[in-house]
Amino acid sequence: MSAIDKKTIKDLAELSRIKLTESEEKNLLSDLEKILDYFEELKEVNTDNVSPMTGGTFSRNIFRNDEDDNSLPKERAIEAFPEKKKGFLRVPPVFE
Amino acid sequence: MTHLRDLTIKSFHEGLLNKDFSALEIVRATFSHIENRDKEIGAYLDLHKDEAMTQASRVDVAVAEGGDIHPLAGVPIAIKDNILIEGTRTTAASKILKDYSASYDATVVKKLKETQVVFLGKTNLDEFAMGSSTENSGFQLTRNPHDTERVPGGSSGGSAAAVAANMAVAALGSDTSGSVRQPAAFCGAVGLKPTYGAVSRFGLIAMASSLDQIGPITKTVEDAIILFKAIRGKDNFDATSVNPPAGGEYRDELLNPPLENVRKLRIGVPKEYFIDGLDPMVEVAIRGVINKLETLKLEFKEISLPHTKYTTSCYYIIMPAELSTNLARFDGIRYGTRNEGREIKNLIDLYKSNRGEGFGEEARRRILLGAFVLSAGYYEAYYAKAQKVRRLVARDFDEAFKDVDVILTPSTPTPAFKIGEKVNDPIAMYLSDVFTGSVNLAGLPAISIPVKKYELSDGELPISFQLIGRHFREADILGIGQYYERL
Repeated sequence: MSAIDKKTIKDLAELSRIKLTESEEKNLLSDLEKILDYFEELKEVNTDNVSPMTGGTFSRNIFRNDEDDNSLPKERAIEAFPEKKKGFLRVPPVFE
Repeated sequence: MTHLRDLTIKSFHEGLLNKDFSALEIVRATFSHIENRDKEIGAYLDLHKDEAMTQASRVDVAVAEGGDIHPLAGVPIAIKDNILIEGTRTTAASKILKDYSASYDATVVKKLKETQVVFLGKTNLDEFAMGSSTENSGFQLTRNPHDTERVPGGSSGGSAAAVAANMAVAALGSDTSGSVRQPAAFCGAVGLKPTYGAVSRFGLIAMASSLDQIGPITKTVEDAIILFKAIRGKDNFDATSVNPPAGGEYRDELLNPPLENVRKLRIGVPKEYFIDGLDPMVEVAIRGVINKLETLKLEFKEISLPHTKYTTSCYYIIMPAELSTNLARFDGIRYGTRNEGREIKNLIDLYKSNRGEGFGEEARRRILLGAFVLSAGYYEAYYAKAQKVRRLVARDFDEAFKDVDVILTPSTPTPAFKIGEKVNDPIAMYLSDVFTGSVNLAGLPAISIPVKKYELSDGELPISFQLIGRHFREADILGIGQYYERL
């Protein structure tokens, strides 16, 4: 039931904010088709009345005291910015 | 002077205390070995030579002054480059992070700094730990020290190759589906993937958060225990990290358990792991391990893990779903590399350009796949279905552990494969961690241990077996591992 076509790849790339060339789109379509075909085997598995396993931990409702604890100093965060101005993060225009 | 080949964490510590050598001598010798050998192997992305020398000298002063010396003090170790060391470059082998300097220490790094370990540098990996051969690194190939035409495995291929080529006494890797155990197996090292939650993931660049776990790659099981003890424990910065549940405390049972305790363990061998696609050499080697362990009077039993066959499909839905979410933060805005150019007119263009150029082929493949399996209309058929199959995979283990205490399997279906062999066939690549992935889905601890050389013919590539334990029962798999090593 290959559910994808060229348009799906374009939509997924748009959603994922990844620029692709024509040939990259073509290769990705072919790879994803093969991978999704492989997943078809999961249809054989009877999962009626099976609850989904949603994580790796058995812990539930982990609380901690609402106290400031060794958070990243502002200067360290700013150091990592690719573009900065007077201690602020610089980005291109958001609105046209 | 001691040969680097003979150095383990344990023998380093003994030698250091005996004043057979100084930490600085060993660290110097290790760097000079790396300068020669790593040209061919390509295990390291960055070396931290100055910091390492300074740290080694500090340890030597501490030894001269007397007092308590931690078993890891001065030990030269390598760190996979998806684990943060403050103030040093951390790339996850991705071009999108090629200039990123870590703003803080990962919890495991912070804990290791307290032991006065020496960090030699950062090792290569598949980009963001996505892969089974380290061929997906954005920067370089790493070669298997046993045969440089072959891959070291992955994704912690740099860490495993560094240990195997004596360019580090031990290393840290991360394991999401076998990324510690499979490269350790391909390179003939020991690789431990702890129970999910045993080790804090804070400061590990996340791939699939419900599966990732940091673990040691070492020359011996004993060394893996020393490193594991140093890095494990609950951490407020990782809400899924825990101390072992009441009654399951590790206490002192990890190192050198009495043989009579180990003898009580019943070992299950799942029939689903001895199937088509298993290299006959691997099968012979694993049967040899079973025979050897039987001389310790350990009891074996055939068991069944019926959903084994679906592990790869299940994993390759859940992992990309989590990964596409985790990798959304790499947009070139707050850290990483930002593109310039006339075609970039607004924020969306900037994201697309940064991510399009910054992510390699496998990363893009998995991000799109993750976005697809989570999308409206397909969520139930793929992601929700996979989560239910994950439950069944975990239940298989629960059922098996009613009858046995430990499960023994091959670590990988084949020894290390050739460079380039699987690079254009994603599914063949994905199947190379078919024996290790179910452990992550179920959150269990497992260790990969090399089959003893005398059980292999001359010139054969390393082959390894895997021991899987109950949650927080690292003691069981490590106990058997220690006795196997002594045989």
